[in-house]
Amino acid sequence: MATTTTATLETTTRSASAAQPLLKVDGLSVTFFTPTGAVHAVRDASFEIKRGEVVGLVGESGCGKSTMAYAIMGYLPGEPEVGGAVYLDGQDMAEFGPAELRKLRGNRIAMVYQDPALALNPTMKVGHQILEAISEHLDLDAAQAAQRMAELIESVGLPDPERIAESYPHQLSGGQQQRIVIAMALACDPDLLLMDEPTTGLDVTTEATILDLVADLKGRVNAGILYVSHNLGVVARIADRVVVMYAGQTVEEAPVRDLFKDPRHPYTVGLLSCVPKPVADEGAVTRLQSIQGSVFPSTQADPGMCLFSDRCPMATDRCTAEAPEPVSVSAAHGSRCFYPHDVSPDLWNESVEREAPHENGKEPTLTVKGLHRVYGKWQRKYLFFGPKVKPPVRAVENVDFNVGAGRTVGIVGESGSGKSTVARSIVGLVPRDSGDVELRGEELSAEADERNADQKGSIRMVFQNPTSSLNPKLPVRHNILRPLQKFTDMSAKEREERACELLESVGLDASYMDRQPLQLSGGQQQRVALAAAFAGDPELIVADEPVSALDVSVQAQVLNLLEDHQREKGTSYVFISHDLGVVRYVSDEILVLYAGHVAECGPAEDVLSAPSHPYTEALLSAAPIPDPDAIPTPIRLGGSVPKQHEQFKGCFFASRCPRKIGDICDNTPPPVQTSPGSPTHEVHCHIPLDELERLQSSPVESRA
Amino acid sequence: MTRFLVRRISLIVVTLFVVSAAIFAITEILPGDVAQMVMGQGATEQNLKHIRETLGLDRPAPVRYLEWIGGVVRGDMGDSFVQKIPVTEVIEPRLANSLILAAFAFLVAVPSAVAIGVWMGVRHGSKTDHAVSVGSLVAISLPEFVTGVLLIVVFSSFLGWFPSSSAILPGTSPLTRPLILVLPTLTLTGVLFAYIMRMTRANVIEVLNTQYVRTAVLKGLPMRRVLLRHVVPNAMLPTISVIAVNMGWMLGGLIIVENVFAYPGLGQLLLTSINTRDVPLLQTLALIIAGTYALSNLVADLSYGALDPRIRLT
Ligand SMILES: Nc1ncnc2c1ncn2[C@@H]1O[C@H](COP(=O)(O)OP(=O)(O)O)[C@@H](O)[C@H]1O
Ligand code: SF4
Ligand code: SF4
Ligand SMILES: [Mg+2]
Repeated sequence: MATTTTATLETTTRSASAAQPLLKVDGLSVTFFTPTGAVHAVRDASFEIKRGEVVGLVGESGCGKSTMAYAIMGYLPGEPEVGGAVYLDGQDMAEFGPAELRKLRGNRIAMVYQDPALALNPTMKVGHQILEAISEHLDLDAAQAAQRMAELIESVGLPDPERIAESYPHQLSGGQQQRIVIAMALACDPDLLLMDEPTTGLDVTTEATILDLVADLKGRVNAGILYVSHNLGVVARIADRVVVMYAGQTVEEAPVRDLFKDPRHPYTVGLLSCVPKPVADEGAVTRLQSIQGSVFPSTQADPGMCLFSDRCPMATDRCTAEAPEPVSVSAAHGSRCFYPHDVSPDLWNESVEREAPHENGKEPTLTVKGLHRVYGKWQRKYLFFGPKVKPPVRAVENVDFNVGAGRTVGIVGESGSGKSTVARSIVGLVPRDSGDVELRGEELSAEADERNADQKGSIRMVFQNPTSSLNPKLPVRHNILRPLQKFTDMSAKEREERACELLESVGLDASYMDRQPLQLSGGQQQRVALAAAFAGDPELIVADEPVSALDVSVQAQVLNLLEDHQREKGTSYVFISHDLGVVRYVSDEILVLYAGHVAECGPAEDVLSAPSHPYTEALLSAAPIPDPDAIPTPIRLGGSVPKQHEQFKGCFFASRCPRKIGDICDNTPPPVQTSPGSPTHEVHCHIPLDELERLQSSPVESRA
Repeated sequence: MTRFLVRRISLIVVTLFVVSAAIFAITEILPGDVAQMVMGQGATEQNLKHIRETLGLDRPAPVRYLEWIGGVVRGDMGDSFVQKIPVTEVIEPRLANSLILAAFAFLVAVPSAVAIGVWMGVRHGSKTDHAVSVGSLVAISLPEFVTGVLLIVVFSSFLGWFPSSSAILPGTSPLTRPLILVLPTLTLTGVLFAYIMRMTRANVIEVLNTQYVRTAVLKGLPMRRVLLRHVVPNAMLPTISVIAVNMGWMLGGLIIVENVFAYPGLGQLLLTSINTRDVPLLQTLALIIAGTYALSNLVADLSYGALDPRIRLT
């Protein structure tokens, strides 16, 4: 490790015979016993990790990825039944007693967790939390340990280690917290690093910088890294090899390029074809494929057949009669399928062309003009007297846009950029301070309560968390009947029939009517929420991150549902997402928000191709692309969206802009430029459009 | 912080005003007045009138109230109607006695409750844990006058270990006869102990399930260290404010316990002052009780703010 200087660290370097893999997982199974029965979290997993190698582990949620990571750590809740074996440097880990296991943890095997805010002790300074790991395992005196801690903090790309070390977790941003967790994991130069969805909760921009760090670690530390993720784009960017897991089994294992270019298991092909891609490709004109159904339930015992057979388009009688074993298709490529050689990349992809969106008519469904929203008021030091101490937050400033009938406007931006506030002002959940919101030219009151039933029924909202859109305590029936009752004048019988139709239209049969929302999976809940939103035939649906909590396969189902509904009914959508691929796939127009300001807006393809606003460019550059050959673009944004208290003097993006041109950016608000070719495409920046285009299409300059 | 203190302290001042006005109004409504209580049934109109005049009771109630408040603001709490000496002199020795009892109860209850709570939390689900949980529930649901009487029956009447009455001669300190403190302390401790113990136990269980404790374990720390450095400090945060709030809450128990054991503290004085309609004394006692209550809540919030780096009081 380049940053370590102390001689004592050499004690942590261990001999390893070259032939042996660092980690070998062999037929691992983990069964938990719960009051409601056995849960087969991991059924049959085998793979290896070598030193200096990053192995990506992908699969839908519930496939057993995290359980496997914790099983390697020897840390599983309750008293599960563990089968198979895990070897570390050839040694069976089952032979380690509790004391030896403890000496291993944090020392030879270290872990990075999904949610750094929860993984750090909130009442202990972060420096101390790193020190604990150092002093527990390394024989260093206090000064050496402190020096090592400072080096670690610096080595994960955090500036000013002294100040950071003295901070409490809540004083750091999500990205900084995750860097601290990584520094803690690196404390004793581990042989094996287990990373469980380490960027899932972070913004794309932050995710990109953390992925850069992991890629950098790969070259610096001689450890094997297991990188668990549900995001194929992330895995494509950093993994050397990829293991795909389905229903507790490892179903495919291959070097990253082989896996993405030449997948040999139908499930892998399915996963790859349901991801919308953020860069220009055919994906936007063909319909997304989705893997129907859901993961083979972990509550069911092994049925002695291929667990994927009920979802597999290639399934034969043999697949339901006998269980396939992993076979090797080439030297480093294995697949758990009877017909690995028949698997073709367009297995799922019948390349159904998408129906064209509705034409942008003359009268927009929704018009938003000069929207402003400030949270809070000035607070004074002594209640009613004294200096002003706490300013209000300017969440949204002067946002304008239209949504045409039957069209979709996508809103993107990092968290804190004001996306949700815009969405909530449209539906009236957060009253706007000024500006107009018009539905078909008719002005809407700022507060939902002051709108009439007709107006309320015309605009419906769908949230990221379906339980916020639904009443989780009442059965599905009630959740769908209620909007029908409120917003239509159907008879009770008609309502009942319509409710069944709606459920069917979202792919759920009538038997779901009497289920409780909490008994359903996240994807099913979100589909019920959509059915409820469709109920009153609204003209506009405002969806705030509706697919962010869903697995890619379910995400594709929901996106297709939304699209079908729109093509059929002409409903307009405002669609918020932090995932550029998703936004690109669903949107006709895109609005890029930053710190409450519109950075860029216009037709989707124009916004996402050069010339783009520097912020859009940075978002695009950060977005992980599910293609190992994609050349990573070097533009990265550090920090996070500023909490804005005063009006910006110059450009709203000046504090983080990688293309800032000088004082003019700090002092003069940027002009609105429109492209000559596309009059509705607006870019709010001082750099002339042709110059932006030139900068963005020459890779050499963008590296400067 | 300044803003927080300004807001809370003004709130306390307002509360105290409201309390004093309410108490004053209630004593006005109650039948009988101090003159009657002092003179007894046989008093003549003449005598009563004389006493009322000397005490100033013949003037309208709002005037008397404003006068009294005026005095309080200047630091003069007035004279006791009955004992004819400044209220502060009546209260002082009693206050000391009550504080001694409260301090004993706290010193016994808090450390033991916290220690046992942590222990139960770590081994939650065990047989001992169940037994202690049930016991503490019983302790919480029994009012002090029941526990007090029970303790007297067992330890005084039956075993004869401790005196049943904790009365002492005026002017002597209870510390000269420590044995009389045992039963009142135990009675007062019961509920407090059970409450804090349960709170600590619940918090420990919650913290044990957090992800940061998992992080600490997977760092390879020994369990003892995980408990001492990660579990206990975080579990104590909410417990500490519960303890502080309990300081105020304990006053209620104190009034009952002092009367059960005839212990000469504020609680007993309070009952006497109500019975004799000794308004200045009653008012002052009410202010002390309300003030302690409000202050203990403030201390609870301040201690939380001081101990939890995430909390910024505004
Ligand atoms: N209820 C609230 N009170 C105070 N500030 C808020 C509130 N909701 C959002 N904000 C602030 O407003 C800004 C924009 O937030 P939001 O609309 O939630 O953006 P996004 O959806 O992009 O995450 C952020 O600075 C956020 O902290
Ligand atoms: S074994 Fe059969 S069902 Fe299973 S993945 Fe292969 S083709 Fe599909
Ligand atoms: S105006 Fe300046 S700071 Fe703002 S986006 Fe353009 S170059 Fe960047
Ligand atoms: Mg949001």
